[in-house]
Amino acid sequence: MRVVIAEDSVLLREGLVALLREHEVEVVAQSEDGEGLLRIVGAHKPDLAIVDVRLPPSFTDEGIRAAVEARRRHPGLGVLILSQYVEPVYTAELLAGGEGGVGYLLKERVGDIPAFLDAVRRVAAGGTALDREVVAELVGERRAVPESPIDSLSPREREVLSLMAEGRTNNAIAESLVVTPGAVEKHVSNIFGKLSLAPADDDHRRVLAVLAFLRATDAA
Amino acid sequence: MTARLFSAAPPWLAGLWRLVPRLFAQIAGAAGALCFLVWALTGGYFWPAWVWLSLALVLGLIVARRWSRLAPPGPRRNLETIGALASVLCAYAFLNWAISGGGYFWPVWVFLGFAVVLGAYFTYLRNQGADLRSKGERELTERVETLTETRRGALDVQAAELRRIERDLHDGAQARLVALSMQLGRAEEGLADRPEIAALVRQARAEATAANAELRDLARGIAPPVLTDRGLAAAVEALGNRSPVPVKVDAALGRRPAPVVESAAYFVVAESLTNVAKHAPEASAAVTIRLDADTLVVVVADDGPGGADLAAGTGLEGLRRRVAALDGEMEVASPAGEGTRIEVKLPCGS
Repeated sequence: MRVVIAEDSVLLREGLVALLREHEVEVVAQSEDGEGLLRIVGAHKPDLAIVDVRLPPSFTDEGIRAAVEARRRHPGLGVLILSQYVEPVYTAELLAGGEGGVGYLLKERVGDIPAFLDAVRRVAAGGTALDREVVAELVGERRAVPESPIDSLSPREREVLSLMAEGRTNNAIAESLVVTPGAVEKHVSNIFGKLSLAPADDDHRRVLAVLAFLRATDAA
Repeated sequence: MTARLFSAAPPWLAGLWRLVPRLFAQIAGAAGALCFLVWALTGGYFWPAWVWLSLALVLGLIVARRWSRLAPPGPRRNLETIGALASVLCAYAFLNWAISGGGYFWPVWVFLGFAVVLGAYFTYLRNQGADLRSKGERELTERVETLTETRRGALDVQAAELRRIERDLHDGAQARLVALSMQLGRAEEGLADRPEIAALVRQARAEATAANAELRDLARGIAPPVLTDRGLAAAVEALGNRSPVPVKVDAALGRRPAPVVESAAYFVVAESLTNVAKHAPEASAAVTIRLDADTLVVVVADDGPGGADLAAGTGLEGLRRRVAALDGEMEVASPAGEGTRIEVKLPCGS
């Protein structure tokens, strides 16, 4: 797996590089800003870009803008965003364009190394990895907008969808909800049915379900 | 000219000059009384009226001159001088007409003459853009302008300062905590054969994560990053999504108002939605934001039970002060049974 990193803090960038190299993830290039990200993605054609939201020169959402542009130019590129803040609006923007995997994690999740590496591999392979706080904020206690298909989901199905958005497998979901994998499979197929997702590659449908979920939230 | 003359005069002479009106009034009073006495003894046509009128004219002119000199030199004093002179002479003309037994009302020409002179001069001054305010008025206006400017400056500095603090937290303490988590995570991996120490390290990492979460909430309360990055509309959308009650957001802004106005509007919405969630959890809310040429209008309305008590520490007083500091207005309508509506208007001419 070939990875590029865009992060302006030397401390974090070097920490990430060391961490990934220890686990046989090849970091082919690094950049400190959004322009640099586009350059190294163009030059190295990596599987995954790990991007900090706040980058120079504007120190606002430069990283998101650069990541959206990188995905537009290089369909199939996985993008894993690291941020100090939970901002569903950014996740929705990322998901809106491109086909590759998408992840949005709070920076401190990096400390849980097995989970972080799992997210890195999943997003590089085209899956999703949304931080549980992002997901919690999306589902929240809020009563969703009327006319959204998400409304037709039962509370349990919502829970399952939330865990799917985090990028978990059926087995992991079953473990987390303390139910059998068979029960999870039933919930998942109910979700696909209620969201009118045609039978297709299961992984792809999972991403679509998450997308529908985010769109419903974004429309609020 | 006279001013220079008298300021150069010895103090006793200037003192005497100040006494002139009263002195003259006393002399005139005595002379008037004397004339009346002479007339009472001799009888005949009541001629003292003419003496009185002449004395009153001189006294009137002295008083008018004094009075008009209270105004600052320049157009304002000229205008007041003409006005005072006109008052005295018109009164003189009228009394003259009355004493001489009425008849054809010729003083009207005097009145008209002065009206024309005053009107023409006033129009001339207006066309010249002359400053007719008195010194006190001018000073007050300047003071208010300075205060408005410095207050706004202080608020702008404060807003910029808050954003700087947020950035410092992000690049400083938060980044270090993330690096710490990462290092602890790597240490934990190397301790697979020492589970009890690995557990300690894991605990330490959980503490670092909790500290980071607290810092994040703090930073978001100081200066919400999405407000800085994406502006008011996006930040209010995010607030609506985060609120436990359903919120419909309708924000149309063609441009971004000044940061201090943006953040005041943001906190108005944040506080109002918190109040809705707290006092009317079953309600739904609507937020409308409009920006025209020079005013930002923010309306937060809910369909809850209404009857919000403004005095009961709902945070509304804090909002009102925040809005007032920007010369804005805040109206709260909360009739029982009809929901609560908060409307804030913030001037943002730019």
